[in-house]
Amino acid sequence: MGLLAVNRIYAAITALVLAFVVLPLGAVIWVSFFANRILSFPATGYTLDWYARAWQLDSFRNGFITSVETALVAVALSLALGVPASLALVRYRFPGRDAIQTLLLSPMVVPGIVGGAALFMAFIELEILLDVDISGTLPGLFVAHGLIALPWTVRLVTASLVGMSPSYEEAAQSLGAGRLTTFFRVTLPIIKPGIVAAALFSFVISFIDLEKSIFLVGPGRTTLQIALVSYLEWNLDSTVAAVATVQILIIGVLLLVSDRYARLSRAF
Amino acid sequence: MSDVVLQSIVKRYDAMTAVDHVSLTIGEGELVALLGPSGCGKTTTLRMVGGFIPVTEGRILVGGRDLTHLPPNKRNMGFGFQNYALFPHMTIAENVAFGLEMRKLPKAEIAAKVKTALDRVKLSHLAERLPKQLSGGQQQRVALARALVIEPDVLLLDEPLSNLDAQLRHEMKTEIRTLQQQLGITTIFVTHDQDEALSVADRVVLMRNGRIEQQGSPDDLFGRPASRFAAEFMGVTNLLSGELAGVGRFRLASGEEVRVDPAGLSGELSLAVRPERLVLDGAEEDHNALPAVVELATYRGLVIDYRVATASGLALIARRPSPAVGGPAPLKPGQPVRVSWHPNAGTLVAA
Amino acid sequence: MTSSASSGATAPVATTSPPAPSGREGRRLAPAYGLTAPATIFVLVALMGPLALMFRYSLNRFVPGQMMVEALTLDNYARFFADSFYQEVLGTTLWISALSTLLCLVAGFPVAYFLVRQASDKWKGRLLLLIVLPLLMGNAVRTAAWMVILGDKGLFNAVIGAVGLSPVKLMYTPTAVVIGLVSVLLPFMIVTLQSVIEGIDANLESAAQSLGASHLTVLWRVVLPLALPGILAGTMLCFILSMNAYATPVLIGGPSFHMMAPTVYQQVAKAMNWPFGAALAFVLMAVTLVLTTTANVLVQRRYRRWSE
Repeated sequence: MGLLAVNRIYAAITALVLAFVVLPLGAVIWVSFFANRILSFPATGYTLDWYARAWQLDSFRNGFITSVETALVAVALSLALGVPASLALVRYRFPGRDAIQTLLLSPMVVPGIVGGAALFMAFIELEILLDVDISGTLPGLFVAHGLIALPWTVRLVTASLVGMSPSYEEAAQSLGAGRLTTFFRVTLPIIKPGIVAAALFSFVISFIDLEKSIFLVGPGRTTLQIALVSYLEWNLDSTVAAVATVQILIIGVLLLVSDRYARLSRAF
Repeated sequence: MSDVVLQSIVKRYDAMTAVDHVSLTIGEGELVALLGPSGCGKTTTLRMVGGFIPVTEGRILVGGRDLTHLPPNKRNMGFGFQNYALFPHMTIAENVAFGLEMRKLPKAEIAAKVKTALDRVKLSHLAERLPKQLSGGQQQRVALARALVIEPDVLLLDEPLSNLDAQLRHEMKTEIRTLQQQLGITTIFVTHDQDEALSVADRVVLMRNGRIEQQGSPDDLFGRPASRFAAEFMGVTNLLSGELAGVGRFRLASGEEVRVDPAGLSGELSLAVRPERLVLDGAEEDHNALPAVVELATYRGLVIDYRVATASGLALIARRPSPAVGGPAPLKPGQPVRVSWHPNAGTLVAA
Repeated sequence: MTSSASSGATAPVATTSPPAPSGREGRRLAPAYGLTAPATIFVLVALMGPLALMFRYSLNRFVPGQMMVEALTLDNYARFFADSFYQEVLGTTLWISALSTLLCLVAGFPVAYFLVRQASDKWKGRLLLLIVLPLLMGNAVRTAAWMVILGDKGLFNAVIGAVGLSPVKLMYTPTAVVIGLVSVLLPFMIVTLQSVIEGIDANLESAAQSLGASHLTVLWRVVLPLALPGILAGTMLCFILSMNAYATPVLIGGPSFHMMAPTVYQQVAKAMNWPFGAALAFVLMAVTLVLTTTANVLVQRRYRRWSE
């Protein structure tokens, strides 16, 4: 078999796999413009009505708002906790360092359903103990989503710190800068791309979470993903396709932006 | 300007001792080179002086002031990093201004000092550029300007030339030495390159396994290595082991007896002879002379290195100017020669 | 610390920092603990604590009407292994996961190989992005997309209907679940394999070829053995994710198709049988852990021989 033939086989398989991964998204986008009242092929015409209808549905509109709020808080929480921790993990050697690193990355390893179930039980126990509502409230979601975002933030920020020679910080210190000045004037600007990427990525990861949130949403407090799944359990129409299309667009833009700062494929 | 005194400093990592009771005094305005192979403790020593590595034992005094436990930002030392460590997000001028800002100088004064500092390294025209737009040599100059503009008590340089190519390395070597002498600043210069150490330093400190092996003027180290290790590190390729066989007589392990300069040494010794000091023909009366055969000739541009062997199996390297610079005609492998040297051309060192 | 490592500009950080110091240098480590403490406490409180609590609950007894009664019993685990329904759920989860993972490996390897060895750098970046993007669109959206394609009146049946074939029942079949899972997991496999193949010196392949090996022999005798740790990593990742899949089995598998993760949710949140739901969750984690650790040990043992 010639070299060219071999190359063609690989290219063909790659094209097929790409189609398999990407085309379904194309189909859902296409369907969102169908004029058909009941979803079927081929299209009888095209319309934007489904988008208007999707926005009129409380579950989607409120779900979207809740998801954005939750993701923003998750980003803030994961940066506030994750950036200092990453700094210590990369710049210091201390007893227990490996254990702490494993612990901080563990929310990525514990299955979402398992972690969500555990958090759900803990929240209910706390509610009984303290007589306050937690599960089904926003703060409950914030904690869960902070947990989802934290390991990704730690991973991306430690990666950019590892890529930054400690001599920059040493240079600042030898020139008279204290720890805080060194961090804000030297470390932070240099790893800014990593932090931006971590923030965008954490936002997306929180926004699309399903398994943990499903335990923690309550009446009137539903994330967009849960709203989508509950809707899909009973109907499949172009309304849901319109919501999916909007989500694809938003996440696509966020990821393309964050890819400019740090290669996304390295996050995995 | 201040002198630097290291009092028996030690750096220990768990079981490993990186620096083992090093005591050293660097006089005011002196340039001392810490020389040694990687892992000898020279960089660790420098970084302890800079405050980047905590000292396990011992004290570091600068101008009589104990700063063993001060953080780096309180030491007022200029540090030149191997990779220059110019802040990539700041312009050249901002880089140089950084240390002055930390000292809370007025804006106008900072601007004036930055200008002077950049003038001194002839880079004022690049003040608004970013570090990545500069060549390696230019970056090194900026790093120097940045370290010197804060008027440090001591200048610490960690392998400052190792990232430059041969031509630039030579230029920067001269420039560092010139700047250091103009400013009269006490300087410690870490390098693994003996040429570099010999050409910039007032005094060379050779380190090995965390200890000082030998120190002295460049000529001391080059001409009178005190140990087999020092001789090897200073580029002496002929190290012949053997033992004393009476006053001024040395018996080589291969059996030959040669005359040597008497030295106050005993036990297992090595005779160190530089390849340049070996003569391959026309032996003079008072020389040690051994019959040998040329085994291999290596052409090296200015010189040719010959590996010659005696009948007893003793192998020596001799170096002669090549014909290109007026040296004698090259010898061929297999050609018989008389290899000879003056007794005082060799130095006895502990084996 | 060796001087070359401490001063090397390009040396990775992990090697430039000294081993943990002790004694009075310990004082200088206080900031390290201060910086990691908030995140550590957060994970302990929000993840480890609840997991421990849930484990304790898995030993309690469920009494209908009373929810949970304090006890110290293995009944819930015993029930899982006695009840053929749950064994079937676990069985389904295992074979669906194994099949999906295998398909990912078979389809993912050529793609990863193509990206590393044949695509130009520019195209490699673009294609990788194109592969990773769908992954981050969310399981709900991706599942919706597959429903559009696989539904009884979906795109697939419309297309084969147009060429005169009779429609196929795909929705709510295991086949559809496997298709959906593979599309979720493939990007993980490709990205993992790609980074491993990247680390294999291309000259090794050229060397084998120049010694007379065909392309397939090169793959089999050179690339595959060297890529084994990465293949293992990718396989385990896909397997774990698939064992814990939720949206795909629920929406594409339909109400009578049962896998472990949805069953955990059903028991904990719907039936409110916490002890049994907790036991299910830990069985799921334990089975995943045991299988992946075993695979890890087996491959590591082979791999160590030539990595030392």
